Amino acid sequence: MCVLPTSTALLRAQGNHPDFTGVYYPINPFGNVVRRAPAPPPAAGTRDGELPPPRPVLVLDGREGRPDNAPKLTPDYLAKWEVIRKSRMAGSPEYDPNVRCVSGGMPNMMSMTYGMEIQQTKDRITIYGELNDVYRRIYLDGRKASPKVLDDPTFAGYSTGHWEGNTLVVDTVAIREDALFDTFSPHSDQFTVRERIRFASPGVLEDQITSMDPKALVEPFHSVRTYRKAAPPNDELREFSCAEGLGSTK
Amino acid sequence: MDGRGQGAGVSYASMKTGLLIISVLLTTSSVLAHHSNAAFDGDKVVVLKGTVTEWKWTNPHVWILLSVDDGKGGKVDWAIEGRTPGQLLRAGWSRSILKAGDVITVDFSPAKDGTRTGLLTRVRLADGTVLGQAPPAQ
Repeated sequence: MCVLPTSTALLRAQGNHPDFTGVYYPINPFGNVVRRAPAPPPAAGTRDGELPPPRPVLVLDGREGRPDNAPKLTPDYLAKWEVIRKSRMAGSPEYDPNVRCVSGGMPNMMSMTYGMEIQQTKDRITIYGELNDVYRRIYLDGRKASPKVLDDPTFAGYSTGHWEGNTLVVDTVAIREDALFDTFSPHSDQFTVRERIRFASPGVLEDQITSMDPKALVEPFHSVRTYRKAAPPNDELREFSCAEGLGSTK
Repeated sequence: MDGRGQGAGVSYASMKTGLLIISVLLTTSSVLAHHSNAAFDGDKVVVLKGTVTEWKWTNPHVWILLSVDDGKGGKVDWAIEGRTPGQLLRAGWSRSILKAGDVITVDFSPAKDGTRTGLLTRVRLADGTVLGQAPPAQ
């Protein structure tokens, strides 16, 4: 079930730009990754006797090698990826931000696996993601990243945007070098992201993401994420508070 | 599933030592740690029936502690990790949906290292109700 924005809602009081405000859940939370899991789990309330075959957990640790559709890394960064892969396969938290309760960083955080809430005003869009309680802000008022910002990279980076018709074009810079992107690929300090965000259809938000890095990538990497707008009662995200379970004992 | 960490501390060294004390520690302390789901065998699903001894509705993942017949007249303790409270709320669960003493059947992927832990795929309650983990809109 989803909310289908009316044409007036789509263009509501935002200078005739679409209004993305709302709660969304990912339609393709794994992006370009091909899932191995064979069947969806049963819905809550299914009665015994109606069970589908058991569904294995999805483990994304690189054990199956580097997918053909993964970002094309330069040799130096492919070697770094091999180190990361071995670490993850061994179950180490070193290169697994989720295990350490930290943001996946841009653009990985846009998986929004547990849902996201967008708040839009004329000058700014704020996106909250439930997974790891992450935030990003997209400034629409014409400001640019200052030298101070560029000198202080963050997981979400620094995002500025402008409208091209009904599409929001967002450029993100100052992303932490130790944040990983698709298929836990490493990148350099010259990594930047451009997004084109729009309603692909009523209630379906699309984010076309292009990742660029002259040092780590042979060519720009393109991916697409889609999200469906939520309806009550699923239009409320919950506190995640990941550290609650860190280091706790029985 | 999301590929995020679900259960890791269990992978550390316990099988190398094979000592009972380590197993005990694993089922009492690191069972609640946050870890990579690489610690679990995603190709297997085990089904167990048991009695809930504790239900922990906590981030980043919920835990079901379960007492299971060992087939020899005794009991063994299992700890099964589920998804986040937020995800489970949207999949029809609640904080009060389980309680100590409930007899349930759990499907889960077991830990690779042989410790009695697992990554939950679904729960069947005594009345036959199945609790899946499907979030909305996916």
